[in-house]
Amino acid sequence: MDEKRPLILVVDDVAMNRALLSDVLSDKYNIIEAENGNEALLLLREKTSEISLVLLDMVMPERDGLEVLTIMNKNGWISEIPVIMISGETAHALIEGAYMLGVTDFIARPFDEMVLKNRVNNTIRLYKKQKSLSDLVLNQIYEKTRNNSMMVTMLSHIVEFRNGESGMHVLHINTITEMLLRELTHRTKKYQINRNNIGIICTASSMHDIGKITIPDEILNKPGKLTPEEFEIMKKHTVNCAQMLDAVPIGKDEPLMKYAYEICRWHHERWDGKGYPDGLKGDEIPIAAQIVSIADVYDALTSERCYKHAYTHEKALEMIHNNECGVFNPILIECLNAIADKLVSALQTFDWSKQADKDFFYIADAMMNDQRHPIYNQAFRQFIDERKKCHFFESTLNGILFEYTYTPPVMKLSSKASQKLGLPKTILIEENETNRADTSLDKASAENLEKIEKILNRHTTPKDKPFLIKQTFNIDGKSTPCNVKVLQIWTHSPNENPVLTSTYGYIDTLQ
Amino acid sequence: MTLSEFYSTLGESLDEVLVRLRMESRIAKYLGLFLSDPSFSELKTAFASNDAKTAFRAAHTLKGVAANLGLNKLSATSSELTEDLRPGAFTANSQALFEKVEHDYNAAVTGIKQLDG
Repeated sequence: MDEKRPLILVVDDVAMNRALLSDVLSDKYNIIEAENGNEALLLLREKTSEISLVLLDMVMPERDGLEVLTIMNKNGWISEIPVIMISGETAHALIEGAYMLGVTDFIARPFDEMVLKNRVNNTIRLYKKQKSLSDLVLNQIYEKTRNNSMMVTMLSHIVEFRNGESGMHVLHINTITEMLLRELTHRTKKYQINRNNIGIICTASSMHDIGKITIPDEILNKPGKLTPEEFEIMKKHTVNCAQMLDAVPIGKDEPLMKYAYEICRWHHERWDGKGYPDGLKGDEIPIAAQIVSIADVYDALTSERCYKHAYTHEKALEMIHNNECGVFNPILIECLNAIADKLVSALQTFDWSKQADKDFFYIADAMMNDQRHPIYNQAFRQFIDERKKCHFFESTLNGILFEYTYTPPVMKLSSKASQKLGLPKTILIEENETNRADTSLDKASAENLEKIEKILNRHTTPKDKPFLIKQTFNIDGKSTPCNVKVLQIWTHSPNENPVLTSTYGYIDTLQ
Repeated sequence: MTLSEFYSTLGESLDEVLVRLRMESRIAKYLGLFLSDPSFSELKTAFASNDAKTAFRAAHTLKGVAANLGLNKLSATSSELTEDLRPGAFTANSQALFEKVEHDYNAAVTGIKQLDG
């Protein structure tokens, strides 16, 4: 009894039939019953990832077995949940129809108990194996995406830091590139960009300036204007990068490599052919490079650099329109106009921790829409939906959310929470409090942090219910009485003492 | 009357059902439940109210339930009626086929009521 007993949904309009099936199967399985097609569909929707097998009758009122199967196909459940049809039906065409709709097996009435049990066993075992394999793949993909995106980010940050820039530039380019690409795909099919490519191009965009590691410090970080000779050297970062990528012995045919090459080499080309290094013109310039080029210019204009102050969003758009900073593909200017309103807030609220998730969503999306290898993994979908749901709920709440894991001791705050409490979004809580003294927190924020820590370090015993604490926090500069609802999660391992793993909190301001 | 006697009276075989359902107690339990299964009365009502669709479904159900319990005659006559009604309308034969079903159903019910325990 180590493992949970699999759950079987028995669908039959005849109470006796359901009772008989439960009777035969209930020693090894948990059974839920539905007495018509509609009820079955409701249960399927509610417990999609719990149900291991459906035993389905053919002739029923309120949607018959074939209708249930049709809907299971439409929702992609049929490839997740095996269905065995049990029926006294003998009409060849109907039985064939059931197979066509994806039933794993057809058992005719009257059935033999032993045969039924074995077919049920085998089917569940087979699907379980398949599912554990696809979960394994899923987890690996998620890990891999996260690691990939982390590596690329680390690499590009190193370059940015040498540039004396904050690293925000790379993140901005990423965001702008993504928004432009999405807009572009709505407007034209000309460039053959699919969802999967969008993720890859965004990742590649982070690398647009890695060639700058070949540029000497004196030139790269010179505060004044560059001499023509110096500028010639500076321009080399494009071809130098292309050379570096060429020298990488692996991944020659990978899309990421292809896009990175295009972007690195050609993001300073101009639509009118007067750019560098190759003087490409119009759509001779690969579209990925064109997009990163306009994103780069916009972000350079709106950011402060060692040689210039920051222009406003409006001024930057105006300058791009008037070809003051290069000449761009007219359709990309249209795209930039279309996203202009959303752009400012998107760049301000950029959430770094969501970047890897975003890449993951792209890959997930692409996988699920790939007709050659359809993956209708329900757990997968739910996983994605849960994440989206969390982001959404968080955005609609009035109060302040925090979450804390004990190993590593990291507290995460939503953007709103971080703003209101005056604390960073991610905080490593060191045991040694003396380290705190030199942080840049002001007194009010430091007090907030202390109070939250006190809540986190309360000595409690395992329980499943949330508890309530009254506490005053400094919110928007004012001392505000609050209710803090806290939920603690403990490990459930039966053999060991429970360990506190995480704490979730909701700070409700009393006004 | 024992289970074995019950089946022989109806011209059926207990052994055939035992092979499939394993336990005499289980068979007895479901024969008992058969008395409260509404399929036959639904069939009758459907005939009375000229509802061929419901009649088809009820006959279909009766056929399956009877087959599971080894009431093969009832299953066979229900099956004939099912096929007769499949197109969704009563035919010239429907009433006669229904009467055969009714006969077999009543025979089974009478027998079940006389079972020991």
